[in-house]
Amino acid sequence: MSKVVEISPTTRHEGHSKLVLKVNDEGIVERGDWLSITPVRGVEKLAVGKSMHQVPKIASRVCGICPIAHTLAATEAMEASVGCYVPEDAMLLRYILQCANRLHSHALHNILSLPDMYLPGTDTKINPFTPEEPVRSVALRIQRLREIAQTVGEIVGGEAIHPSNPRVGGMYKNITPRAQQKIYDLAKEGRILAHEQSEFMIAVFKNFQNRDWAEVAGRQVPIPDDLGYHNQGYMAAAPIYGSSSLDDNPTWFPERWTEVRPWDWYMGEEEITLEDKDYPVGGTTPAGEKAWPQMQACTGVPLYDGQPVEVGPRARMVQFKNYDLKGAMGLQIARQMEYEACAYGMIEAVDALNTSGKVVADEIPQGDGTLGWAANEAPRGCDVHLAKVKDGKVGWFSMLVPTTWNFPTCSRALTGAPWELAEVIVRAYDPCVSCATHMLVVDENKKIVAQKLLE
Amino acid sequence: MLYPEIVIVGCGNPLFADDGLGPAVIEELDRLQLPDNVKVIDGGLGAPHFIFTLIDPAVTKKIVVIDIAEFGAEPGSLAKFSVEDLPPGSYRDAHSWDLTEPLGRLKDQVEITIFGVQPKRVSSPDMEIGLSEEVQKAIPKVVRYVLAEIGVDYGATIKAERDHLWKEGAAQVRGDPEGST
Repeated sequence: MSKVVEISPTTRHEGHSKLVLKVNDEGIVERGDWLSITPVRGVEKLAVGKSMHQVPKIASRVCGICPIAHTLAATEAMEASVGCYVPEDAMLLRYILQCANRLHSHALHNILSLPDMYLPGTDTKINPFTPEEPVRSVALRIQRLREIAQTVGEIVGGEAIHPSNPRVGGMYKNITPRAQQKIYDLAKEGRILAHEQSEFMIAVFKNFQNRDWAEVAGRQVPIPDDLGYHNQGYMAAAPIYGSSSLDDNPTWFPERWTEVRPWDWYMGEEEITLEDKDYPVGGTTPAGEKAWPQMQACTGVPLYDGQPVEVGPRARMVQFKNYDLKGAMGLQIARQMEYEACAYGMIEAVDALNTSGKVVADEIPQGDGTLGWAANEAPRGCDVHLAKVKDGKVGWFSMLVPTTWNFPTCSRALTGAPWELAEVIVRAYDPCVSCATHMLVVDENKKIVAQKLLE
Repeated sequence: MLYPEIVIVGCGNPLFADDGLGPAVIEELDRLQLPDNVKVIDGGLGAPHFIFTLIDPAVTKKIVVIDIAEFGAEPGSLAKFSVEDLPPGSYRDAHSWDLTEPLGRLKDQVEITIFGVQPKRVSSPDMEIGLSEEVQKAIPKVVRYVLAEIGVDYGATIKAERDHLWKEGAAQVRGDPEGST
């Protein structure tokens, strides 16, 4: 007889999400639903009628963690719709921004993942804030990597958090030769730190996968060999940057994308029958309460070729680098393997940059309402923005952010895991829940059907 | 070093009506000629992890935070808080990190002042662009207090009208021949 346990909200990631898990007598997940409970904000509706220059700024404010990815994806969706080709030096600046964004995000994610992990060879859980060595040195290295990435992001993006330099048509300003040198120096320092950091993290994640158990809520929970495995496909547009409908050979295909309602995907109403007061932080939901994922989920379910797919570091590694490690730790390790590429990407792009080159297109068309899309490989995965711009105004806008893609895939990856380790699997995906909530949901005939959610 | 001796941070989201107060004050401060040891940052929603966790207390001596705060006064009223005044767990950022936690770690080494403006209307989770009139009117007052807090004379700071990068057509205003929109 299966029982239902609910972890709400889940912690150490962005935004609010929860897990509703049907488990067997041994506590193994038979079916897991991972869903967003961050309220729908309707940013796509807000974009309608705004100018194509304004919408990327709005998109960047959806969440404070990945504003660079959203700015770039939204800007390029506008450019794709109006048919505006951007000068090469502007693209190089965007590429540097992309690498800085990814470097920072991966480093930040290390802090969020480490408390689940153990120091290799010991049963000591890692507290990233401890003054004890060797964790202290690791924490300082993470901080320096974040600082390097943020500094580069600020130099190129114009501002440290919500970048103001990218614009429809290119960038407002090129950087100075001095700034170019500074980025080069920072990236060189970052490359060495990134190498050390990725080696350390890979050792930690491999060690976790090889352990027999992990301690959760005062109990020793067995770690299965196939923790977080799923049989879904992968979707990635590029190893580092992305693709758009302006490309000669695009690598993302809107016709392969469909979306279904949460109502058709998630579990119906369930009563919570298993509770654990000791579960961190604050225990699971008390028994007797109700969970109703299909009504509570705040995201549509995007499908690619009719199936949920995984996006993110592993998807990029699988599609472009023949990577084959599965499971939650396989995903974590793929993320660490991208570290050095961020630093090398900055070095190569800043090397190729002409600081006196033009960074704004000569002419920025105002658009005739054609659908344009940009699939940006944000740190957490493929961030697809779609837009229709006519006479400079946005008539339609949609954001398919990485976590929206990953929700249903990760839900399947929960099957077979002890429920106490469900959050370890979720955190491997580095979710960015806040911006995953969007409102336009269409059925297989591309008809909008989300009204049910708004009742 | 990413952050200098004095850091002024405006927090909040301009998509949620009065929650945009912090960024709006930063936009005003950005027009002023401030000393080189001062950095003015639009923290948006990212201040706790992009700024407060990256402050080096050996370099940064003072942080001024500008945000909205509910303290039951008339909308647009201004109050000054210390880190201790903030109830723990009162605000959690998107990473489930407490705003007060990174500030709490810094408060013994860095002088932290928080200016809170009573909002009239916060539209979250619905999006609404634009501050209420009362909160909009409070901006010059906040700017004055922030400048006094960092010991800068308001009269000395006014510089030529400058347009912001993100404004449409800004490049044209600056006389950039390539800046056609």
